[in-house]
Order: sequence, then structure tokens, then C-alpha cells
Amino acid sequence: MSVITLDHVTKKFGDSVVVNDISDEFRDGEFITLLGPSGCGKTTMLRMIAGFEKPTSGEIRIDGKVVSSADTFVPPEKRELGMVFQSYAVWPHLNVFANVAYPLKIRKVPKAEIKEKVEKVLEAVHLSQYAKRMPSELSGGQQQRVALARALVAEPKVLLLDEPLSNLDAKLRERMRFEIKEIQARLGINVVYVTHDQGEAMTMSDRVFVINSGVLQQVGTPVEIYRKPENQFVADFVGKVNFLKGVSENGKIKLDGIDGTLDYSGEITGAVDVAVRPENIRISEENAHFRGKLLSEYFTGDTNDCRITAGGNELRMITDAATYKHFSDSETIGLYITDFIVFPASDSDFRKIMT
Amino acid sequence: MENKKKFYFDVKWLFIIAIVGFLLVFQVFPLVYLLIRAFFAEGSFSLDAFTRIYSTSMNWSCVLNTLITASLSMVFGVLIAFPLAFLVGRTNLYGRKLFRTLFLMTYMVPPYVGAMAWLRLLNPKVGTLNVFLESIFGLSEAPFDIYSIGGLVWVLTTFYYPYAFITLSRAMENMDPSLEEASRISGASPVKMLFTVTLPLMLPSIASSALLVFVAAASCYGIPSIIGAPAKIYTITTRIVDYVYVGSAEGLTDATVLAVFLMVLALVILFISNFVIGKRDYITISGKSVRPNTVDLGKWRIPLTILTGLFAVVVIVIPFASVFATSFTVNMGKSVFEEGNFTIKYWETIFSRNSIVKSAGNSLISSVWAASLGMIVCIIMAYLLKRTNVRGRSIPDFLITVGSGTPSVVIALSLIMTMSGRFGINIYNTIWIMVIAYMIKYMLMGMRSVVSALSRVSPSLEEAAQVSGAGWLRRLKDVVFPLIGPSVVAGWFLIFMPCFYELTMSNMLYSDKTKSLGVDLFLYQTYHSQQTAAALAGAILILVAVLNIVLSKLTKGKFSI
Ligand SMILES: Nc1ncnc2c1ncn2[C@@H]1O[C@H](COP(=O)(O)OP(=O)(O)OP(=O)(O)O)[C@@H](O)[C@H]1O
Ligand SMILES: [Mg+2]
Repeated sequence: MSVITLDHVTKKFGDSVVVNDISDEFRDGEFITLLGPSGCGKTTMLRMIAGFEKPTSGEIRIDGKVVSSADTFVPPEKRELGMVFQSYAVWPHLNVFANVAYPLKIRKVPKAEIKEKVEKVLEAVHLSQYAKRMPSELSGGQQQRVALARALVAEPKVLLLDEPLSNLDAKLRERMRFEIKEIQARLGINVVYVTHDQGEAMTMSDRVFVINSGVLQQVGTPVEIYRKPENQFVADFVGKVNFLKGVSENGKIKLDGIDGTLDYSGEITGAVDVAVRPENIRISEENAHFRGKLLSEYFTGDTNDCRITAGGNELRMITDAATYKHFSDSETIGLYITDFIVFPASDSDFRKIMT
Repeated sequence: MENKKKFYFDVKWLFIIAIVGFLLVFQVFPLVYLLIRAFFAEGSFSLDAFTRIYSTSMNWSCVLNTLITASLSMVFGVLIAFPLAFLVGRTNLYGRKLFRTLFLMTYMVPPYVGAMAWLRLLNPKVGTLNVFLESIFGLSEAPFDIYSIGGLVWVLTTFYYPYAFITLSRAMENMDPSLEEASRISGASPVKMLFTVTLPLMLPSIASSALLVFVAAASCYGIPSIIGAPAKIYTITTRIVDYVYVGSAEGLTDATVLAVFLMVLALVILFISNFVIGKRDYITISGKSVRPNTVDLGKWRIPLTILTGLFAVVVIVIPFASVFATSFTVNMGKSVFEEGNFTIKYWETIFSRNSIVKSAGNSLISSVWAASLGMIVCIIMAYLLKRTNVRGRSIPDFLITVGSGTPSVVIALSLIMTMSGRFGINIYNTIWIMVIAYMIKYMLMGMRSVVSALSRVSPSLEEAAQVSGAGWLRRLKDVVFPLIGPSVVAGWFLIFMPCFYELTMSNMLYSDKTKSLGVDLFLYQTYHSQQTAAALAGAILILVAVLNIVLSKLTKGKFSI
């Protein structure tokens, strides 16, 4: 349980800025997720907290104590953190028990206590019967749990996880998500979790940090991030979205090329980008905001995934499965927008920023 | 269709049979014969020869000398190589690239050149370094005597630590850095990490590199013959050669018995390091490229750089410089910088004296043959090994590995015993016996180079040609060769270079007409003129350096060795 403070943290490798002036505070017992496209600087951020990289400028504090700054640097072994590496980093020359016992041995904990603690933590990750095995005799998922047990055994104040589930199959991943969350809740520790899987970020986090090219885009709860994205990048990266150009005037938004308007009570006027999530488009003749032509539809079981064209814009709509094959292809249908988000118009194609 | 398939299959077998046949006749049979001959000298099984050999104190002492010098070189070699590999591979030491090149360069330099250099530097009476140290510290006698076990160990160590350096560097660079980071985050200091994680993980590599140094030092002939012989320190290798020179039946039997000891020692170690230690090796190359994390040396950066630099100066720069200095010296008793003591006549000699030019020509011819024939074998074998699942495809690979692990004296002796007419083949006194000896000893280098290149070329490229209707020979020519070309060239040079200046086997196999460069150099060094020998050695050093640069340009830095 502790507080991690980032104070204008910047990291450059040569000339390229990998983490750009990030400030925030990870509070007691919080589950924080760093979310962003590949190469955006998530791992670098985590490694700076761990002490494997020094920030180029800025300060990092743990519980008010400066661990990285211009003139102070506390090496990783003094920071009392737990970390699970993307590659697990389970030592192949030690068996499961010895791997997990290692942090305690370093801390010179008495033998009997080591045994007790290791057994307890192995139980927590469901590996009790594997204590004597060598890592080469374990499956990927089991190795990952060894890494987790090793990170937890010394009861660190903070647990750092770098895409710990990326190598697992979908089923195991789901179970491990649940287990990590449960362990975190039980021990009440801070977790900083790195992922580029937005589903993972949504289901596990208290707060999500969305990062692009080293710049913090938005911080918020999963609901805030999804419902109230602060810019086009966040709207686009988290969840699916259609962008429409338009003009906001007198409480109405006129969409380019589309015959129809949306009611808008917000403050943004002039040229705008309107983001509409596919599930927020409904088929409705009577309340239709505008009309569009059905291009194609795909049956996914629980939904009907449609492509629609309206005034030169191609839109994706995800709607009730019951509507599948209700209309014929190329039929013009009425569309009703239940919710949308408005941004001041931007020329840059933010989708391209993603690497 | 059915027929066609069968036809391809046969052709592959033909190649395997040809290559295996060649290796059976010229490698396996001679070595097995050697073994048999050691126990059946007089037609029936007897250990007489063994008892005779190992009961004379002379022979015992050479066995002991070999074991002692090889063990000490192994220990010192690893003790030197490990920190160097770490400093160069994993830290922010200044000039890491330069150091790496320097340390690897020694690997390609013939060991006898080092022996010559150190002889000149540490001769107890006139050794340059000895004289220098005496005058600086006002000593009354020379601080070092190269003519001793210690001297022998020193030169062996300085020439064979690169073997360990290469193995250890590779292992360190392939280790997943997060294994170490996991230790740090668990609370271990860098030193604790080194002892609990890094070293244990490296243990298999350390063990196999140590064995490598041991075998290389035990099988070395050039260094003990130049340094040991004047000091009356004999090793198994020098003893074997002496017996061969004696030439009597009994002499050959005694040589055989000693050779069998050396061969068994080498092959057992080869087996241990390939099959026992190799299996426990934790450091496997992962598909992901790991970004090796460099250790910040902090305030130790400059002192350690200076220390490493000092080591490089003492072990590489000074000896090589002394070889060049010797080659320009008129009177060996005085410094080359003294008035009138500088001459280029030895350099003129080596390019004008008929006998030397002829020896160089012989060496060129035999090593070009060895490299070319060797590469043909290597390419076909590597292809069969990596790209087909023909049965028995790994037999030649195994034999080539064994051949290269066999000490040179043993290979040469076995060829002398079997290829001089006794069994219907008489190639003794021709260059072919040398070509064959060279191939057996050095083909592995070429093989490795081609195999690793082939592993990097995706099989689908060939499959594309196959779909277009190309047979396997055609694919080899159209697709595989162009892609692995640079590695083939590299492999060719890796065989060519050691053959060109080879000493040990040539020294046992040459005749008046087939004298090689290494032999000539050795004779000059021992009997006629150390300056001429030094000029020759200098020329070889330059050649090695030039070929190295060419090679590394050609293969974009992948192969220089
Ligand atoms: N040691 C280094 N030297 C130079 N560049 C680096 C170094 N480490 C990271 N980078 C660069 O910094 C950027 C961010 O890297 P980082 O590993 O933090 O990305 P990431 O967000 O974790 O990506 P991924 O999701 O793919 O793991 C990348 O462009 C990377 O190439
Ligand atoms: Mg990453």
C-alpha cells in the first residue's frame, strides 16, 4: 500500500522522446493500467518506476520518498517492488520453490518462515503441487504464475506487471485476469499494469492511463475513458468508433453530406468531429436522424454487424441480431443515433499516429 | 511421379555416401587403425607398448606436463575471458568494439607466432621486456623466464583465452536480461545478482569453454615446440613428433600409444561438452531479439577501461609489435631503434628467396584445395542437414565435428600410418595428404558458417522454386547459393586461413617437394634466422588482418572472426 508520484517525468533515448512530461499520482491500493499502442512508451514508464531506467528529467517518488530525480537514484533492489516481466524471467536453474523463495532469501528471512510464506503464496497461485518442478517442466501459464508468486512473496508495496498475460491462450488469460484482480484486492496492494489489450484494461482497472507516443492522452476510470474520451485518439483507441465531420451551430450539429441534424447541448461550436460508437446507432424509421444505405451485414451470433453508407460516409453499426436479413442489401434505412461525442475538428489523422 | 521421387532420393544418398565414404577412408579408418595399432602392435593384443611408454619417466613427464599446462591454461583462460566477455559485452566500457576485435583477432593468429614473440620478450638473458624491466626497477636478474612451465602456460593462456571469450560472449549476449532484472527487483544487489543468477546460468557455457581451452592447449604443438623444447619441457605433442622423426617401427608404436591417449582425452571431452553439458544449457536463443541491458560501470568505467586496455597492450599489442620489430632488427642483441640496427633485408628475403616463395606457393595450393573441397562437402552436408530429412544426414556432421576435435598430431600420425601404401593408397609425400589432413581438421568452421546461414533462410523461398518446377540441385544453384553466398565465402576463408599457415600437421607430413609456409617459418625460427621467421610471421599477420577486414566487409560484419 503506497503512493507513487510522477512529477514531470520525461525519458529520451538519444533524440527520441519516449515518455513526455507525465505527471500523476497512483494512489493507495489502486489498480492502474497503462494502455496504448505498441511502442508508445508503456514498458519504459514501468521500467522507470522499477528503477531499470533513469528518467531524463523529472522526479519519481514512492511514499513521498524520492527514488529517481536529477540527483537521487535508488536502485531497483532498494525499492521493494514486485515485478512480473513480459517474458516471465523465471530462472531456469532453480526449481519453483527456489524461484519463489529468492526474494526472501535475499532479505535473509529465517528458513522456517521462508518455507511457510512460499507455501502460502504458491497456494494462492494454485501451484502447491509443483514446488519441486523445474521451470522447463512447466507450461507457459504455470511459469507465469511462478513469476507472479515470486513478485508477491515478499509482500511488496507495489506490483508492476508488464503484459503478463500476452502469451497465454484466451481462456487462461481470462482466468488469470480474475486471479490477479483477486490477489490485488485481498492484499490491498497497488498494481501498475501494462497492456495494449483494451479489454484487459477495461475489466481490471480502477484508472486507465491512455498513452500515445509518450504523451498522456487521458486518465480516468474505464467508464470515463469509454464514454467521455477527451480527444479523438482516445475515442478511437478505446472501443470502436465512427467519425463524422460536421458543423455545430445553435444547439444543432449539421453533418457533412448528410441530410439531417443532431441535437447538441454542449459548448463546442464551429467545425467539429462527431464520434459515434457502432452500438449507438439504431434502426428506426420514425425517429430517424438521417437515412443510409445498407452495404453489407455480418451475423456474429448475438449481434448484427452492418456497414452503411450515408452521404459519402461509411459507418459501422452493431445492432440487434434480430435485424439480420430483415432488410435487403442496398435498401435505404432510417438511422437513429442514441449517443455521440463531439470534438473540435482536427485535421490530423489521429489513427495514423498509431504504430 | 513415384519414380521421380525415388530418383531424387537416390541422388541425395549418392552425395551422402560419397562424403561419408571419404570421411570413412581418410578419417575414421586411420583413427581406428591407430587405436588398434596401439593395442595390437605385434599382431596380437598386448598392453606392452602401453606399459613401456608409461613406465619410462620421460614419457610420464610429458603426459604430466601436458595435463599441467593445459589445466592451468584452462583455469587462467577462463578467469581472463569471463570478466573480459562481461566488460565488453554487457557494460558501458569505452572502446568495446575495438577491444572485441582485438581479442577475437588473436583467434586467427597462428599460435607459434605468439610463442616467437614471447620468446623474444621474455628470454631470461636478452628478452626485450626482461631487459626493460631490469633497467626500470634496477633488478639484478631477469624477472621472467619464458623457458619454464610458467612461461609455457603464459603463452598458451594468451593464445587460447579467445576460445573461451567467444563462447562466453555469445552466451552473455543471448541471455534474457529480464532474468537478471528479476533478481534486482527481488532485492539483490548487482554483486549478489552476479553470483546467484548470472554465474549459475552461465555455468554450462563456462564449463564448455573451459574444456575447449583445455583441449586446444593440450593439442597444441607450435607453442610447446618453440618454447618447451629449448627448455627441455616436453609435452605429448612434441614427443609424438619426435618419435615420428625417429621413424623406427618402435618409435611409431610409441607415438601411436601417446597419440591414442591424447585422442581419447580430446574426444571424451568433446563428448562431454557437446552431449552432457550441451543438454543442460539454459541459454537458448529465443526468437525475440533481446535488448541486452548494459551495466553502468559508474565510477569504475575509466579505471576498468584502462585495465582492459593495459591487458590488450600486454597480451596483443606488445607481442605483435615485437614480431614486427624483430623482423627489422640486424643484431638481435640490440634494440631495433639503435643506430644502424634497422634493416628491411629480411622482408626482401621472404619475397625473393626461392625456397620461401616456393613454400608459400605450396601452402597456397594446398589450402585453396582444402578450402574449396571442404566447402563443397560443407555446403552439401549443411543442405542435407537443414533442408531434408534423409536418413543418416547427421552422420557426416558428426564425423566432421569429431575430426575437428581430434588433435592435429593425431590426425597427421594416423594418415602417415595408413596412407603410405600399406593399404593400397599412397599419398605420402604429396600435397594431397596435407589437403586431406587440413580438411579433416578445419572443415567444421565452414560447416558452421553455412549451417547458420541456411537456418536463417526461410525454406519457403526454396519451396517457391520447387513449385515452379526446379529440382533440388537446381534449387541449390538458383536460390540457395545466391542467398547464402556471403557465408560460403566466409566459410571458405575460415578454412583457408588456418590451413595456409598450418604448422603441426604440415610439419609431420611434408616432404622436400611439399614444404609448407608454416614449416619453413618454423625451421627459420628454430635453426636459421629468427628475423626471417619474424618477417614471415609479420606477413602472415598482415594477411590475416586484411582477410579479416575483407571478410567483415563482405558479410556486413557478420563474419570476421
Ligand atoms: N534502450 C532503448 N534504446 C533506444 N530506444 C528504446 C529503448 N527502449 C525503448 N526504446 C524505444 O522507445 C519506444 C517505447 O518503447 P517501449 O518498450 O516503452 O514501448 P511499449 O509501449 O512497451 O511497446 P509494446 O507494447 O510494443 O511493448 C520504442 O519506440 C522503442 O523503440
Ligand atoms: Mg512493452
